[in-house]
Amino acid sequence: MTCSERLVSLCPGSEAGVSADGIAFVRVPAEQVPVAALQLAGELGYGRFIDLTVVDDPGRPDRFEIVYLFYSMTERLWFRLKARTEERVESITRNHPGANWYEREAFDLFGVIFEGHPNLHRLLLPTDWKGHPMRRDEPLNPEPVDFTATRGIHGT
Amino acid sequence: MGLESPARPTLPVAPRDLLRINMGPQHPSTHGVLRLELDLDGEIVARCRPVIGYLHTGIEKTAENLTYLQAVTVTDRMDYLNPLGNNLAYALSVEKLFNCEIPERAVIARVLLAELTRINSHLVWIGTSALDLGAQSVFLYAMREREVLLDLFEEMSGARMMTSFIRPGGLAGDLTPAWIAGTRKFLDSLPGNIDDYESLLTDNPLFKERMIGVGVLRAEDAIGLGVSGPMLRASGVDHDLRKAHPYSGYERFDFKVPVASNGDCYDRYLVRVAEMRESIKICLQALDMLPEGPVRTSDRKVMPPPRSEFQGSMEALIHHFKLYTEGMKPPAGEAYVPVEAPRGELGFYIVSDGSGKPVRVHERAPSFSNLQALPLMAEGGLVADLIAIIASVDPIMGEVDR
Repeated sequence: MTCSERLVSLCPGSEAGVSADGIAFVRVPAEQVPVAALQLAGELGYGRFIDLTVVDDPGRPDRFEIVYLFYSMTERLWFRLKARTEERVESITRNHPGANWYEREAFDLFGVIFEGHPNLHRLLLPTDWKGHPMRRDEPLNPEPVDFTATRGIHGT
Repeated sequence: MGLESPARPTLPVAPRDLLRINMGPQHPSTHGVLRLELDLDGEIVARCRPVIGYLHTGIEKTAENLTYLQAVTVTDRMDYLNPLGNNLAYALSVEKLFNCEIPERAVIARVLLAELTRINSHLVWIGTSALDLGAQSVFLYAMREREVLLDLFEEMSGARMMTSFIRPGGLAGDLTPAWIAGTRKFLDSLPGNIDDYESLLTDNPLFKERMIGVGVLRAEDAIGLGVSGPMLRASGVDHDLRKAHPYSGYERFDFKVPVASNGDCYDRYLVRVAEMRESIKICLQALDMLPEGPVRTSDRKVMPPPRSEFQGSMEALIHHFKLYTEGMKPPAGEAYVPVEAPRGELGFYIVSDGSGKPVRVHERAPSFSNLQALPLMAEGGLVADLIAIIASVDPIMGEVDR
């Protein structure tokens, strides 16, 4: 039984597929992420955490797609785990300590809340920053430059 | 469980007896703008907390607002010691979406360029890490060799560091015979120079005293934290993407993957020095293998047609027009094709919706994961050893903060 089949059988409501780069993926419901992460770290052998990122689509319900990438040192294969959520998902740092900074980065830049994370604070941006700039509906350059000549226009 | 406080024997002092100091962000041995919040118990590091983000410039956001070709220029600026390796990883991911063929000359030239940048990066590493430990002359010698390399990059692309030379679909230009001759001359002189660095460092008792047994990272911790590259191999894990998942024709080259076993700073030093020698071997093989021919793909959806076709072909004109007004449009999908960068597994996760701009460009930066292992290596050790440990991690803050 392959890793994808095992996860699909364990997590009801999930779907499997293969991406353009040949890496197998399984999209699980957000509440199933801890189960899948535990299985991957344990008997499935995908204990090496490689990457976590978020793909945002503001036009969709459950706008954030969390994309986890794992690697198996025995199979020498990558595996991608996906979950869609509106705002929050369980942290996987308990089973995959390498995800610590990646979850903080996703929280910082996208505003996804990872429940149970030991230290969920902003990582890259200053602590007093407002907003989450990597969201697709955040404009690229929201801060006008403070030239004295334009103060009357922008009201800085 | 948190990385900031991994399981360690508790210290016999209360936290209020600890001295908190900030190391960096403007500290010469933090190799950029890394800040470490340290709790010191005398000379012992009781707790080490890296604080990053000082170099965050929103590169991923910028890339999502550029066309696929324009985004090559921002990949240069992530790991600024390995621009060609970043270009290569980005190009491979975009090409995977297109599924396009790259001409043989470009494939071999990419290997050559990726290995030259690996040498470039390791030269800076050996120079700066020796400098941090007080060996000033090595820094000067390493920078002398790097200067020749940067001149070669300048001759090739017009830019010394931000080359943007490897692009989706091939290379920006061809390698000239004069450039190839210059590269061969450089490669012939380099092994003797590496011998010189080694004669100054490898058996130097002061150097060994500072490096051996310092900053030990066990293999299982390295794997669990996603540590990659020379750091992983110094911990005894034989894993190199050039061998495990050959890309860009690496399977045709004859080279060894240096692996050490102790996982301390000295082993990381030995692994990187051995890697430089292997890179020279790969470069020389690539120069011998380099065939004649085009360096750009004939897939007109990726690269524009040559000027000579404009006279006779309406189709060529349309392709040219479409590429320069709208940019290349990869089919919808996602791709991640990692390469073995000087610091480890570097890959771009690119999501396309079929338009001219990427939906998501995410860099999986090796330094980011490697730096997470710093508290594990530093806590319980001397504060002076921290200098050697940071140098042996070799983080590039440009790609940590992006």
